[in-house]
Amino acid sequence: MNINRRIFLKQGALSFICLGSGPFWGPGFLRQAAFAADLGSSMSNKILICIFQRGAVDGLSMVVPYGDPFYYQNRQEISVGAPSQAAGDAGALDLDGYFGLHPAMAPLLPLYKQGHLAAIQACGSPNASRSHFDSQDLMESGVDEDKSVQEGWLNRLLGCCPEDAAKKTAFRAVSMTSVVPRSLQGPEDSLAIRDLDTFGLAGDSSTLLAGPTGTTDGFESMYGSAVDTVLHGTARESFDALDLLKQARTAHSQPSNGAVYPQGNFGRNLKQIAQLIKANVGVQVAFAEVDGWDTHANQGGAKGQLATRLGSFAQGLAALHQDLGDRMADVVVVTMSEFGRAVHQNGNRGTDHGHGTCFFALGGSVKGGKVYGDWPTLSPDKLFQDRDLAVTTDFRDVFGEICAKHFGVPMSAMPQLFPHYAVDAQRFRNFYTA
Amino acid sequence: MAGLIQAQDATSDRAEIVHVLNRITFGPRPGDVEKVEQMGLRNYIEQQLHPESIDDSAVEKDVARFELLQMSPQQLSQLFLEDTKRFIKKQKEKQAADAGQTGQGAQAVTSEATPPAGGGTMNLINQASQWRSVAAIGQLEQAKLVRAVDSQRQLQEVLVDFWGNHFNVDVKKGPDRVYKIIDDRDVIRPHIWGSFRDLLEASAKSPAMLFYLDNASNTVQRDMTPLEQEMREMYFQKTLGIADPENTTQPGEPMKTKKQGGINENYAREIMELHTLGVDGGYTQQDVQEVARCFTGWTINRMAGEFIFRPRLHDNGAKVVLGHEIPAGGGIQDGETVLDILCASPATAHHIALEMCQRFVSDNPPPSLVERIAGVFQATNGNLSQVTEAILTSPEFLSPSDYGNKIKSPLEFAVSAVRASDSTLIAQQPPPFDKLVPAMEGGGVMGRGQVADRISHRPRQSLNWHILELGEPLFACTPPTGYKEVSSTWVSPGALIERLNFAMALTGQELSDVVFDPQRILDGIDVDHPEDVLNRCVTTLLQNNITDATRKVLEKTALPAPGESQTVNPSKLIALMIGSPEFQRK
Repeated sequence: MNINRRIFLKQGALSFICLGSGPFWGPGFLRQAAFAADLGSSMSNKILICIFQRGAVDGLSMVVPYGDPFYYQNRQEISVGAPSQAAGDAGALDLDGYFGLHPAMAPLLPLYKQGHLAAIQACGSPNASRSHFDSQDLMESGVDEDKSVQEGWLNRLLGCCPEDAAKKTAFRAVSMTSVVPRSLQGPEDSLAIRDLDTFGLAGDSSTLLAGPTGTTDGFESMYGSAVDTVLHGTARESFDALDLLKQARTAHSQPSNGAVYPQGNFGRNLKQIAQLIKANVGVQVAFAEVDGWDTHANQGGAKGQLATRLGSFAQGLAALHQDLGDRMADVVVVTMSEFGRAVHQNGNRGTDHGHGTCFFALGGSVKGGKVYGDWPTLSPDKLFQDRDLAVTTDFRDVFGEICAKHFGVPMSAMPQLFPHYAVDAQRFRNFYTA
Repeated sequence: MAGLIQAQDATSDRAEIVHVLNRITFGPRPGDVEKVEQMGLRNYIEQQLHPESIDDSAVEKDVARFELLQMSPQQLSQLFLEDTKRFIKKQKEKQAADAGQTGQGAQAVTSEATPPAGGGTMNLINQASQWRSVAAIGQLEQAKLVRAVDSQRQLQEVLVDFWGNHFNVDVKKGPDRVYKIIDDRDVIRPHIWGSFRDLLEASAKSPAMLFYLDNASNTVQRDMTPLEQEMREMYFQKTLGIADPENTTQPGEPMKTKKQGGINENYAREIMELHTLGVDGGYTQQDVQEVARCFTGWTINRMAGEFIFRPRLHDNGAKVVLGHEIPAGGGIQDGETVLDILCASPATAHHIALEMCQRFVSDNPPPSLVERIAGVFQATNGNLSQVTEAILTSPEFLSPSDYGNKIKSPLEFAVSAVRASDSTLIAQQPPPFDKLVPAMEGGGVMGRGQVADRISHRPRQSLNWHILELGEPLFACTPPTGYKEVSSTWVSPGALIERLNFAMALTGQELSDVVFDPQRILDGIDVDHPEDVLNRCVTTLLQNNITDATRKVLEKTALPAPGESQTVNPSKLIALMIGSPEFQRK
């Protein structure tokens, strides 16, 4: 059978079981309680939330190396000033006496100071193509060069946890996107939902979906019966979980702890990830993306286009942290981008494609309050290909540390997770406790 | 396609015709297969390859109603500039009203009509939302759909979609909402049957592309004129509120000359990666910088809405591009030479051949076919008529193993449903743009997703709106890649749900601009004979490509249970077919 067809039917079946569900199942709360107990007892409750900043974010603007004189030499019109009274709220927010957070990212400063947020500066992939699309695909596949690797690293991570897979739900891996991102593509099931609020079929469609004789006819069975028996079993299980979605939707539609998400898709995506986590539907890996980082022109400094986007980005992360409250003990959020931007500003007060950038890790087990990684400096002789921030932390050492410490993936499984790369615990930055 | 059962009466010829119609049109309408059967498949392909031989006046007349699409580049550019001026004026009024917030106006001017986002400015955007030029997007989208649904020159429309996607421009970016009209009309359409070199040059000089990939501001670094210096001072003092860090001039001294501008690599990279050589086409970072230098000064005359070469902004030094030496002093010729080099490269021939084969043949076309087509590209100097013809007349294109092997894109799915159900698209003149469109993430004036229903040019329940919901907002793909030709990227559980929603909305007569009437495909069928209804629908909508599983579901829905009398609901039946696995394929 053609691979595309297989994926289509498999995922189709997954989604179809939510059709016409409500009336055919017992009281929701009973099922939900049973489900939650089930998950709690037998399944790892560790959760990873991955956020991809698509378009290559300028790491030098997020975590400003104000202590590096070459920064100001290269960024005369688009730099963020050093923290000082004179600079006021236009200056960076000091992190460690050398680096400062972009002022628009102020919502994250308390999390850094409380030790929940860590930055990994000069991080990225050794690949130097500077192509957004290639670099995203490769990073999401967990490789730096081999384009034949089709599955995503998150999908392989799911495959590395068989004991969890035995109890998996349809929500084990969720992406708040309209298509399954490369990171999650592969043999393990995952769900792509653009918007939780509109996911599901509109209007009074139950008879059409269900058909005249109940749930066994209609759309559902048209797809469902096309699937082999193994998948049918999965589908049945998922039916439960997708029905739970309805409860989750209403039970947790408001953010907790006074969290306020920013307007826009990114804020909504994070809010809905939190909703699913709070509803205990078995989320293990969640994925969201945010674009608009390809700042070739007029990116601005302390204010401007990039600042606006960074503000929304930081507000989103801070809101997620607040909303999840105690649950953050089990959660790690990691942010990533395909590469960074050139050190020197270009002819349009913007920046062209570069190399190293900055990742963030946020969570209860993160040893925050620190900027991790070796700082190569922006000295001309230290630049990658004479123009870009060098990469001193390979992205796979960040991902690998999370896999190993958060999910307990044995080091012996790392070659499967990250082909062609020797993940080495010696190189871990140790931003994660234990 | 594996698992499909051809109905007894379906000849292999018919299956072949259906396959071709699926690939070179936006899906067969009732009667199309018979029409092609009558004229012969080869003749049909031949005819589609020569659109000038096909009368399409009815559709062109329909499209001519969209007034913005008829405007000259100058008129369109002015329309946008007027909007921008109005926005700035409103902003200044706002500032005057807001005591304590002075000097913020200059920033809006520099940020090219991207209204600042964020809570504090929402009110401002509220006032400044009279963006007439946004109606341009609505008209573009409507015209595209009219042509996709109704044009007799179907292959032409498929190719315009392909090349428009290859040279993707996102209308969410500032003036590209008006420039894209020029791009679609004067850049893409006239060149899809000509030489690739001409198409590439037209795109390189298209204001839409120049703005989208920033080449309009790609310049040599040069000394500032006194006026530019003055503007720079303004930028620092008024916009940023700080002293110019480079300004070492002491008070009282005459101002020292500063540098201005410099290269922007955005277009230089993407023309090689996406438009010509492909990402593995053998160029280096050095080549990107050199190509950027070659294209310095290729910019937009904002008053005329046209390409202009400004020698003052051009880097006249010598360059080396992909090993070719380009001597100093070449002026505009530098860019032309780059286009020549790129078009002559075998990597370009391969890249274009691969993409076209992915569109027409399969997600993974046979390498031997791609090589052969690349050979045609090279032998004909990129003659796109001949390249297209070579694909459509290749045995691989007709290979039965590829029947139904591609997933329809959202555009293809929605339009093919309209066509297959013989529905009528009532193209509406989009209302004038007068409603709030918040500046969402992404920075454009156009929000996406959750604000779609508030965008008046794209009313909820229009065909257009549904295609956006299905994940393919027209002319609004943000990254320069365009939408992927590999069709499996459209497959996801969420997307499938949206497709079912569309099937139900269409047959439930909920679409605001599409008239669906089940009688149109049931002409001459007695609805008291459910089996006849079923068979007609299977033939018309699914071209008899149906699995046992789907047929069983349809039979249960359509046919009365033993001992019961039940009348068939054709709309329901049609919804099920449009939502079926089979209909998602082409």
